[in-house]
Amino acid sequence: MMGNNQLMPNSHRFATDSQNVQTNRRSMHRRTMLATIAASATMGVTGCLPSTSASEGTLEEVWGKRGQRKGQFQRPRAITVDDEDRLYIVDMTGRIQVFDRGGVFQRAWRTPTIENGRPSGLGISRDGLIMVADTHYFQVLFYTKLGEPQPNRTLGGTCGNSPGEFNFVTDVVQDSLGNYYVADYGEVDRIQKLDPNGQSIYQWGSQGSGKRQFQRPNSLAMGPNDHLWVADACNHRIQVYDVALSAPRLVQVWGSHGVAAGQLRYPYDLILTDDENLIVVEFGNHRVQKFGLDGQAVASFGSAGRDEGQFTQPWGAAVDSRNRVHVLDSYNHRVQRIRI
Amino acid sequence: MFEIGIPFINYRIAFAQGGYLLLVFLLPLLWLVSFRSLAGLGRNRRIIALAMRSIVLFAFIVALAEIQVLKVSEKIAVYYLLDQSESIPQHQRQLMLDYVQREVVKHRNSERGDLAGVIIFGREALVEIQAFDEDLPSIGQIEGYRELETDATNLAAALRQAVASFPEDAAKRVVVVTDGNENLGSARSVAPTLAENGIGIDVVPIKLGERGEIVMDKMTLPNMVRKGQPVSSRIVLSNLGDEDVAGKLTVVRSVGDREQLLDERQVTLHPGKNMFLVEQDLNQSGVFTYKARFSPDDPRSDIMSENNETTAFTHVRGKGRILIIEDWEHPGRFDYLAGRLMENELEVDVVPSNNLFNSLAELQAYDCVILADVPRSSGETATTVTNFSDERIDMLVRNTAQMGCGLIMMGGPNSFGAGGWVNTEIEKAMPVDFQIKNSKIVPVGALVLMMHASEMEQGNYWQKVVGMEAVKALGPMDYCGCIHWENNTGNDAWLWNAPRGLFRVGENRRTMVARLNRMAPGDMPAFEPAMKMTLNALQGVKAAVKHVIVISDGDPVPPSPFTIAKFVKAKIQISTVAIGSHGPPSAGPMQKLATDTGGKFYVVTNPKALPRIYQREARRVARPLVYEPEDGVTPQVMDYHEIHGMTPQQLPPISGFVLTTVKDNPLVEVSIRSPKPAEPDNATILASWTFGLGRTAVFTTDAGNRWATEWTAWPEYDRFFTQMVRWAMRPVEENGTFLTSTNVRDGKVQIAITALDDESNVINLLDMTATAIAPDLTAFTVPIRQIAPGRYVGEFTTEKPGSYYLSVNPGMQDVEVNGVMQRRPRAQIVTGVNVAYSAEYRDRETNLALLHALAQTRPVGGESGMVADGDFTAEAMNDFLELDTFRHTLAKAISSQDIWPLCLLIGACMFFGDVFVRRVAVDWSWTEPVVQWIRTKLGRTVEEEPEGETRLERLRRRKEQVSGQMEERRAAARFEPMEEANLDEVVQEASAASTSIESPTETRTSNSIAPTVDEQDNYTARLMKAKKDALKNRDKRG
Repeated sequence: MMGNNQLMPNSHRFATDSQNVQTNRRSMHRRTMLATIAASATMGVTGCLPSTSASEGTLEEVWGKRGQRKGQFQRPRAITVDDEDRLYIVDMTGRIQVFDRGGVFQRAWRTPTIENGRPSGLGISRDGLIMVADTHYFQVLFYTKLGEPQPNRTLGGTCGNSPGEFNFVTDVVQDSLGNYYVADYGEVDRIQKLDPNGQSIYQWGSQGSGKRQFQRPNSLAMGPNDHLWVADACNHRIQVYDVALSAPRLVQVWGSHGVAAGQLRYPYDLILTDDENLIVVEFGNHRVQKFGLDGQAVASFGSAGRDEGQFTQPWGAAVDSRNRVHVLDSYNHRVQRIRI
Repeated sequence: MFEIGIPFINYRIAFAQGGYLLLVFLLPLLWLVSFRSLAGLGRNRRIIALAMRSIVLFAFIVALAEIQVLKVSEKIAVYYLLDQSESIPQHQRQLMLDYVQREVVKHRNSERGDLAGVIIFGREALVEIQAFDEDLPSIGQIEGYRELETDATNLAAALRQAVASFPEDAAKRVVVVTDGNENLGSARSVAPTLAENGIGIDVVPIKLGERGEIVMDKMTLPNMVRKGQPVSSRIVLSNLGDEDVAGKLTVVRSVGDREQLLDERQVTLHPGKNMFLVEQDLNQSGVFTYKARFSPDDPRSDIMSENNETTAFTHVRGKGRILIIEDWEHPGRFDYLAGRLMENELEVDVVPSNNLFNSLAELQAYDCVILADVPRSSGETATTVTNFSDERIDMLVRNTAQMGCGLIMMGGPNSFGAGGWVNTEIEKAMPVDFQIKNSKIVPVGALVLMMHASEMEQGNYWQKVVGMEAVKALGPMDYCGCIHWENNTGNDAWLWNAPRGLFRVGENRRTMVARLNRMAPGDMPAFEPAMKMTLNALQGVKAAVKHVIVISDGDPVPPSPFTIAKFVKAKIQISTVAIGSHGPPSAGPMQKLATDTGGKFYVVTNPKALPRIYQREARRVARPLVYEPEDGVTPQVMDYHEIHGMTPQQLPPISGFVLTTVKDNPLVEVSIRSPKPAEPDNATILASWTFGLGRTAVFTTDAGNRWATEWTAWPEYDRFFTQMVRWAMRPVEENGTFLTSTNVRDGKVQIAITALDDESNVINLLDMTATAIAPDLTAFTVPIRQIAPGRYVGEFTTEKPGSYYLSVNPGMQDVEVNGVMQRRPRAQIVTGVNVAYSAEYRDRETNLALLHALAQTRPVGGESGMVADGDFTAEAMNDFLELDTFRHTLAKAISSQDIWPLCLLIGACMFFGDVFVRRVAVDWSWTEPVVQWIRTKLGRTVEEEPEGETRLERLRRRKEQVSGQMEERRAAARFEPMEEANLDEVVQEASAASTSIESPTETRTSNSIAPTVDEQDNYTARLMKAKKDALKNRDKRG
């Protein structure tokens, strides 16, 4: 089991130094060595692994700190990555900040207003625009990668339960045909399908824990064959729908409430990886889990805490082209890059 | 102090105890003694040892002399002190920052590292910009202005602030931009402190305009008049200009919240004093406030309008005036009582609780205030919820404690503890506590606070505020819990570590408040788990009323219908407070939650409404304090008391009252009790005591509306309530006359009292005291002393403009009661004085004398300051910029650092070196091969020299080495050196050899002794053998 420990000394990389950026990067060496020694000592004394380190993965880098200056975060809530591995992160100040893959700040912009609340979802459209789930304004905003708003692309903006109206928007994805899928919750918890022009096609879901019901569908991911993966956060489960058909077909539901490996507590984000696995970020369990597409738990990383390799209520994650997972450690106001 | 400059750099060496430097003359003596004693060490080592000894001695001497390094700084730090008081016109105050920015840009020497900072001052001084070494940012406006009180000028505070704010490593100067009209503190007394600290003072005077000015000097009224008596008031105005000024004079009279225009006339003010008379009749009792205002027709004829208004008071004595405050949600419940009191010659005003008094002045119209079944907060929605603010409660209490007004709280289901008055100042003023500490008497309530306001602006702060309001409103036996999302664990958690989440408030109140202070609720994903925990907790306590208040921005997933149904079944109401403005998605589920369980739903966009809502909601838990036994109770008069004038007897039955607890104080008199409940301390119907200068009473049942319905037919009803009110009323002096007058001058109020008896004879030797209440409701004592027969005066300083109320206690008098002379206190004399405007508005000229005096203060080591000249206007600003406020005419800043410990350390090291050099002979022979090796490695080739010369050189060098080593060994071992001849012999023989000597003769490192003759022979023999072998080899090669 020690071979699976995420804190292997030879797995460390050092980020390149940034110019003019307020990031906080730390070497893993000393801490890794201490952690390894401590883990070994614990095993020697107790004869078993420490209960909090049932993690499998490798921590590569930790960057970011609390603040409102460039490159700093105030409870980052959503993250996405583009095809050039640039990271887009929105936080509680309503800023969308762009970083390169090493965490070097590039630029930032703000959503029009945050008086009612802040965005909580980000995505990349098929034509390379940044899609922002402006949760408390019941809309999806579009920006170029340089932060130029595209108001003619905005989806929604009206609060309501009718088609084309939204409650609290949490996430948006596109299928292979360019149709949008928007998740929202509030009076109803549902997913709406909109055509590429933003016209509503159909919607499904209601509030509850039964079949085709949701309680805060917090994240969406579009998989192969236009299978839509939904993080049903407050039902502590994952739902998969085949949306290639004229009506969504429930393909699979899995997940149970708990803290054990394979169980879930408030899955707030999910990402499908190129190697056909699913990364799930658990707000309640302060960890990232890796599942096979059949729901089989593959690996887990992280525990509650403020040390490197630990998380406090992570909200989101993004996987770059090198299959590295950038996790938003929201209440520690930082990003941790891991391999899992 | 003895100093030595170090050329070219800004450092100096100083000695605090320079006398010790004379010890350097010991150095030659040291050299003399040591030179001889170290003769055996050889030349080099002797010199080194001697040098080290010298350093040791020198280091010791300079350490004794307390050597210091002084750093001289060329920098100048300038603080600009900007007068923002109201005596300076607003546009000139704004212009000051512009001046400072331009001045710093023009004169600051950035290469020198000059610093500039800004201090603004009014009543106090604030650092606007801490001194730093860049040009000042163009911030557009003075940021600290909002925090600054500008109604006074405290230049002294600004100077003190500057002294404390300067950095140490720079020469210091303040530039005072002011009109010099200080009215707090004394700048002259602070100036010497600046001079002692080497701080120069430059002055930029603000010259005030020379336009005309109208000042309302005063308005006089008789202090006390009888009802119906004609009253004339005099108004005195000063025209300080040279021309007539026409305008309108308005006089307004107000009593309570009612205002009446008394006179309005067009007048012309001639230069100098102008007096006007206003006459009227007063047919109403109470304290009347008069306000006179002059408005010039041409505003340009008056510089400042703030000093055109004045106020005066008069007290009209009558039969007594009562204020009844009733719940605005239930009007008319006390109309019957009001009517009966009016029938009995009392003047009564009934006001609803959403239209309360706004000042202490309004309360002066009344002799007694009745809180008639009025809750602390009432209303159903966030916009209609109203409450008695802490400030209003404070006014009520002070009106009784300091001004002698009566205060009665009458019952009903919304009064006392059931009305949310627990833990307020009102409760302290009353003879009973509003809480029940005995759970056998009263069922308890249970309240759970659910906190989720993370997305709201300052959400944490407001959640703490409402949490504390709720805890404050609960009784000691009530249960309280607070549930929130804990970020660290990622779980819903109870804030205090109670086994089931709830604690009794009683002894845990402070802990709860402390925990609430540290609370940081997180972003709860769903209500369901927290709701389940709440349900379990509430079902686990025995409480008559169970209630939940949820505050949220509404984005957690709502609880399931199943869970809500359980709350309904358990009769637990949930009130929801939707904060922020998320819109319908959040409001809908929260509204449904409240509606389904029977609670209230509030939408709050202004968080200031939150405390009122929580006070209102916490009242639901206090309902058990209402005591309504099925068969009612019959109150019993316990003892005779002036308040009701009845002997012990039974009174008509009542159907309920509010439970209280008699204060544990011997002054409390409980004159009517209920036989139920059994605990007498909780069964009070009527209790009274004296609170400060006034009297307070509680009547825990109502006046006939709901509980005491049978009392309205009781023949004694009128007498009972009239007597109760008259007992509590502010007493009215019937014997003698006390004439009072007040005068405001130079920031002080003087009160004069003339004491006459019924025959107009003066009354002497009265032990008078007075209490004053300032505009901010702080109370203070004013000493009164007699200065002439029958004349008494007191004086106090007015720091703020506004109304000051005075309650004068004229001392004791002998009164005949039932044929017996008794000593009783005289009735209070209530009066007031209004300080209409700040002293700022009195000053109309620049105080150049003070400003020149400040500038002439000569700082230590520097030159006196300068006074700029010109008009402080945007157009003439360049004149002021001619004054270089960064000129270096001040003492340079010198920072010192003791380095004698370092010298001691050096001395200690040198001492060790001295011993080392003398005792240890170091072999340096290894260095040559090392150097050679390095040179080889570096690729350097040694130029080949003629073989014969090289060899000879080596041998010579070798000879010197061996010679030196042997000499050192001998010296170390105190042996005589080897004969020079032997060595020469060795060298000569060796030089004849054809091969070079690769390794030198082995050095003896052990306790060597001089070689014996045999050894010398052997040595010579070996050399001879080597020579022979060399010759032999040469022959072979040849």
